Amino acid sequence: MNRIKVIFSIIAAKLTHFVGKFVGKGTSKPGQIALKILPDVLNYIKLPKTIIAVTGSNGKSSTVNMIYHLLENNGLSIACNNKGSNQLEGVTTTVLTNATLSGKLKHDVLLIECDERYTKFIFKYIKPTYCVVTNLYRDQLTRNGHAEEVFDVIREHIPSSTHLVLNTDDILVSLLSEKTEKASWYGISAPNTQTRVGNVYNDAVLCPSCKSKMTLEGNDYSCDSCGFHRHDPDCAVTSLSLKDKKITIDGQYDISLMTGSLFSFYNTLAAFTVSKLLNFDSEKTASLLSNYELENGRLTRFCVNNREGTLLIAKHENSTAYNQCFQLVTSSEGSCDVMIVVDQISRKYFTGDTSWLWDIDFNLLCDKNVNQLILAGKYVNDLIVRLSFSDFPQEKISHFEDINSAIESMDNEAQEPVFVITCFSDQMKVLNNPCVKKVK
Amino acid sequence: MRILHLYHDILNLYGDYANVEAIKRLAQANEVSCTVDKISLGEDADFSQYDFIFMGSSTEKNQKVALEDFRRFSDQLKNYVDSGKVALFTGNAFEILGKTIKDNTKVHNGLGLLDFDVVEGDRVSEDIIVKADDLSLPLVGYRNKRGVISSVESPLFEVLYQNSQKDIIKTEGVRYKNLFCTHLIGPVLVKNPHFLLYISELILNKELSDDSLKYNQLSYEVTFNELNKRANLSDDIKS
Repeated sequence: MNRIKVIFSIIAAKLTHFVGKFVGKGTSKPGQIALKILPDVLNYIKLPKTIIAVTGSNGKSSTVNMIYHLLENNGLSIACNNKGSNQLEGVTTTVLTNATLSGKLKHDVLLIECDERYTKFIFKYIKPTYCVVTNLYRDQLTRNGHAEEVFDVIREHIPSSTHLVLNTDDILVSLLSEKTEKASWYGISAPNTQTRVGNVYNDAVLCPSCKSKMTLEGNDYSCDSCGFHRHDPDCAVTSLSLKDKKITIDGQYDISLMTGSLFSFYNTLAAFTVSKLLNFDSEKTASLLSNYELENGRLTRFCVNNREGTLLIAKHENSTAYNQCFQLVTSSEGSCDVMIVVDQISRKYFTGDTSWLWDIDFNLLCDKNVNQLILAGKYVNDLIVRLSFSDFPQEKISHFEDINSAIESMDNEAQEPVFVITCFSDQMKVLNNPCVKKVK
Repeated sequence: MRILHLYHDILNLYGDYANVEAIKRLAQANEVSCTVDKISLGEDADFSQYDFIFMGSSTEKNQKVALEDFRRFSDQLKNYVDSGKVALFTGNAFEILGKTIKDNTKVHNGLGLLDFDVVEGDRVSEDIIVKADDLSLPLVGYRNKRGVISSVESPLFEVLYQNSQKDIIKTEGVRYKNLFCTHLIGPVLVKNPHFLLYISELILNKELSDDSLKYNQLSYEVTFNELNKRANLSDDIKS
């Protein structure tokens, strides 16, 4: 009976997917329909021997895309949800549309990006061989509650057979190793590098395991009470330059990147670590990752009134993402103008909560290279109030509720590049302005 | 004015520290000098030296850590509150002042200063509009919590609107003398300048100017209007 249902749900998913391609519908629907027919359909699919999952607050899709690139260039065939939803429905779509009617996924590798909270459902059916956990930050707290709660979900549902690939610089991620037998660690061990960016709050004050006070020294952490500590990384960035957008891994593999931010360094390092575990040639990995341009729209170049512009996606409700964007801006060459847009807090749900603005370290923008700061969007008043509590020179701030007015206010005579920092929910309001021309 | 900010480092999950900054800023704008002392685990303080005490929200685990450490201050806080001085607890901070907190592993004894019990259940995460008798305007805010408190005799607010289906309630928080306890998280005073003014005037026992709060007021109005698109409250509520 189930056999028939399995075939039926595979056909349903494939058909919906086929039709969806023409009407531009989402990637959740095929999986959703298949799950209606047979809720545990994934249990009946023969999956490849190697399954790689990537989860965490930030950097999931970038890391997945880099791993994809490495797998592909090592001659492996891959089924991956990198073009679609990272929840159970999206993963189901990926698996079923790539499966044969007999219920077999013939690819060499199944590579899946997993929403952190949906690991609960995904890992019920799919037991990853490797699971990368990038970081667990304060992220969308209106939806997630807080990082410890997300941690609890992942810890509870990660299969004990999975080989974890963990960011050792993130204390919560680090603690996940208690759950499984095998773990590899990656981290930044470059001298004089602060891996925790932003000074507004510190979620590493207490040991995540026993809640005693932690000893923090530079990027190192240890708990005298229970012994929990930063693991020495198996794969490490041993030197880096934000300005030159360069990292060296394990003292010998140089990689040049398209963006100079800690996020991109960590994502690259995570992909490198996975390639090491798969016994790929490290020289080749380094060269494949060098100047690899991600096509996930986190960085869009444009031109406004003859000025160079860059739109950076810093997710709203995610202070770490904002902080790292600020770091990227201030480590860029020469002076610039910065525009921050907060208009619609999420594209998926409504909230008027702006408490996360108080977690962002706006002092990171206090750099002589920031000429002018333009604030815009419906929540511009919240931004104005927040900035008034920072050290940023108030005379350099201008503000507009209307995003178009903000863009049109930009000085035509000025030569400096413009950085726009906002979220997916608001980016098109900037890019659709008639003065803004996208450049390839 | 002297402010005591308790557990500033471990009870600060949703930007709650901004409340202290806001009071300090308003006092200074009114030419009142203001100092803030921050203390955390194991550190000592003499509550009688202060005019305002603040504690913010946290993870459930950090809340329990603070609860154990705070027991030694129980009498001091009682005397402070009984003398009529002002304190504000945001988010889940005030839960430790009740009789018990039941989580999924055990029942923790609270400080017993207030007469309620807390049961931690599914997370409640919602925008909310509330109203207090003493304030002409409603307040806007956000609740993000697991704790549900048993009914209390003197709630702080009446709930006018909440946009989740969980923990549907008519009242919010607790008021005991000038101890203000609310599950609203984060920069409650920043987002509600009329509440900031009310609390600050209560602390200083004099009228203050709100000239410095222009953008707070605009921010409040935008958020109220956004929420009210969903709440459809009658016009006389905002008079």
